[in-house]
Amino acid sequence: MEKGRALLRWNVVLIAVVTVLFMTNSPVVLGVATQPKKAAEIRADIIHIDSMKAFGKLERPGVTFLHQKHTSALEKKGKDCAACHLSAKNPALDMERMSTMYMRLKDTSKQEVMDIYHDNCISCHKETKAAKEASGPIDCGGCHQQQVTVISSWRPIGMDKSLHYRHSKAQDNKCEKCHHEYDENTKKLIYAKGKEGTCRYCHGEKTEENRISMRLASHIACIDCHRQTMAKDESAGPVYCNGCHEPGQQKLIETVKDVPRMKHNQPDYVFVKTVASHNKKSNPPTQMNLVPFNHQAHEKYNDSCRVCHHAALDDCVQCHSLEGSKEGDNVTLQQAMHRLKVDQSCMGCHEAKLNNKSCAGCHTSFEKKRQQGTASCVNCHMIPPSRLTNEAQPAEEMKLAAEALGAREAVTVTYDDEEIPETVVIKALTNIYEPVKLPHRKIVNALFNNIKDNKLANFFHHEKGTICQGCHHNSPAAKKPPSCGSCHGRPFNSKDPFKPGLMAAYHRQCMECHKAMDIKKPVSTDCIACHAKKS
Amino acid sequence: MSISRRKFLGWLGTAGVGATLGKTARAASNKHFDGYPNSDGVLFDDSRCIGCRKCEEGCNRVNELPAPERPFSDLSLLDTKRRTTAKTYTVVNRYDDTVSERGPLYQKVQCNHCLEPACASACFVRAFTKTKTGAVIYDESVCVGCRYCMIACPFEIPTYEYDNAFSPRVMKCTMCYPRISKGLLPGCVEACPTEALTYGKREDLLKIGRERIAKFPERYVNHIYGENEMGGTSWLYLSSVPFKDVGLREDLGVTPAPKLTAGALNVVPMVAGLWPVLLVGIYAINRRKEKIERQEKEKAVATALENARTEAEATLSEAMEKAEKEKTAAIETAVSKALEEAAKASEENAGDSAGEDAAKKPSEEDS
Repeated sequence: MEKGRALLRWNVVLIAVVTVLFMTNSPVVLGVATQPKKAAEIRADIIHIDSMKAFGKLERPGVTFLHQKHTSALEKKGKDCAACHLSAKNPALDMERMSTMYMRLKDTSKQEVMDIYHDNCISCHKETKAAKEASGPIDCGGCHQQQVTVISSWRPIGMDKSLHYRHSKAQDNKCEKCHHEYDENTKKLIYAKGKEGTCRYCHGEKTEENRISMRLASHIACIDCHRQTMAKDESAGPVYCNGCHEPGQQKLIETVKDVPRMKHNQPDYVFVKTVASHNKKSNPPTQMNLVPFNHQAHEKYNDSCRVCHHAALDDCVQCHSLEGSKEGDNVTLQQAMHRLKVDQSCMGCHEAKLNNKSCAGCHTSFEKKRQQGTASCVNCHMIPPSRLTNEAQPAEEMKLAAEALGAREAVTVTYDDEEIPETVVIKALTNIYEPVKLPHRKIVNALFNNIKDNKLANFFHHEKGTICQGCHHNSPAAKKPPSCGSCHGRPFNSKDPFKPGLMAAYHRQCMECHKAMDIKKPVSTDCIACHAKKS
Repeated sequence: MSISRRKFLGWLGTAGVGATLGKTARAASNKHFDGYPNSDGVLFDDSRCIGCRKCEEGCNRVNELPAPERPFSDLSLLDTKRRTTAKTYTVVNRYDDTVSERGPLYQKVQCNHCLEPACASACFVRAFTKTKTGAVIYDESVCVGCRYCMIACPFEIPTYEYDNAFSPRVMKCTMCYPRISKGLLPGCVEACPTEALTYGKREDLLKIGRERIAKFPERYVNHIYGENEMGGTSWLYLSSVPFKDVGLREDLGVTPAPKLTAGALNVVPMVAGLWPVLLVGIYAINRRKEKIERQEKEKAVATALENARTEAEATLSEAMEKAEKEKTAAIETAVSKALEEAAKASEENAGDSAGEDAAKKPSEEDS
């Protein structure tokens, strides 16, 4: 009896403890549930203020600040950027620049910076509140919130060809308006004609000595210029976050279709090769057949020079020498041109083009690797180096490269219709279904028509049988390729474990190609769409 | 005299700890079971599976399982996640890929045929056998229906014929053991139109899997599920998304299930072997103690008796001595008295010789 009572008492205690634990963890206690749940707001103007980090560990969570919410509120009151941002003379520029910091020009001391935020933010919030207008918080937790309830839709923006053209046109082709170099002696920014490059060549991820970060540089320079232009009542670029960083607004940015070529002394045609002047230890003259390169055409294919010229507007061989050098991060010329899965190499970019639906059907089943010593090498490596004398002038070189490329046949060919069987009857699985009538010619024609206007494809599908090899793989291109059954037989042959059996070979060839080309019908699981029911 | 329960448990605990220590030493000896050499397996590749349910149909046919309520061509069944049942050894589930636009992925579920099966280690009548073909098979003739196997299986595969009142069986995929023993393919593998299921030697399948990952690194997660999971399984998986996103547990670790219980279970034979020795020992110790005690007691009693006797003897001899002395003294007194009287009588003369005898007798009687 005594024991039972004790047990009961412990039970009650236990239940109480569990209840308390549950309650403290539940949102009811934390007061979260009392706020009505609403869908999180999606914004492109979210700034996480954690300036105090510069002075050590944060005492409270940082502040999620919605910039455009403030600018539009201030605009209504006729206030501009100066309401929150100070300007000062930039010694390197000899002109006034607005600081991106709030109400200060630099981080002085912990107390001072904290006071700047607290005094100014709270006093403004109080004023608007007193005026019975919508206002921001004046309590600590109102701004310093652990949980962020807004979702960012922020997208980076870059200066593509069209945008660059519009800017240079607006500036009357005065490159010096934006392009500059830092002069060590005078400690000023100067313009160096002919040495213009993209901003990111110098302005990196973080602010370094003498060069501010890309983020700072673009916000200071772009917005300042836009503001000044706006002040002159001229049409100007965005000054608020959304104008550049909101995906919807980015789409509204006017694009010029036919952008005139940028002038930077670049060649129209060029050979990818090492030259005598580079004749350093790591850069002996090229022995391999030279590759003529249509520079002009590739300018059109890409949005900016930076796609290929990722570090500087120099020749590739300047850094990527034949045997690799420190400047090129020891990436040799060969690697720089052939590496897969990177945008800036020839093959990397060309390989990415294979994801195009009209290419992916055949290429999805091919291993993504450089084929060793195949005939496809000479598609690019066309000119024996002996045809180019060491003293050849750039103009001569350009002519030779242009001729070589002009002579190259850029056309996809295949057999005449009569030579292509119209239907192929596949008599497998006839124990369950009727034979399959494969519309063979229709398939060949569809594959052919898909790529006949694709210049890149046309350079690589020379032989009449090349396109056939999409399905009739692993045998030389031929008018009458071997039948599927001559390689694919019974499945799971332990002597040849990597080769699928005949049934899987058929099914996978059809289904994987259709999937890659996004052909919705026939559905892979609809057997009788291909295999007619046995009557 | 008996031992206390506490003492007994203490001994048992010591024995257990000893056994565990021995276990650690054995683990360091680098013994590891990699499965039977040349055993078979199946490699499932979800990038090839089209979700046609032909494997389910093939399984049903070759194992002569009851016909399903809805036909195998009904793909709407894929809308719900299913598990294996007593009537279906294998099911295919669909996982809608929300991350990329690759389209849905499918995952086949069946017995994974562990290299060291948990079901077999949990079964105390040895109804499960890991055969040299790789298949884990079940012997219904010895099964007692405890269903420990169902609890033990980390993949929740074995099922029970609850609707069979008289001879219920545990039901699970047998890797078509009767068929593969004859050189035929498992029903599901044979039915698969795309070779999403590859049948072969487990070692070859691992090579094939690695080859596919190497050739198409963007298509696969760089891992073959089942190579090491739960100590390795005969059924292996390739996937284009993390395995947990297609319903495969990633929290299982690489230790085979029997190893997890081996520490505790290893104690069992040891205790069984030790018990007779232990109990006989305890009995012998107790007996010895009792014997010694008895001997000591006897000795003590003997000593006490001896002491008592000696004491008594001493008292007696003392008393005797005293009596002797008194007697002698009395005699002497009587003699001297008699001598005095005799002297007196001799002094008083005659007729006194009869008086002499009479005087002697009473003095003798007094002592």
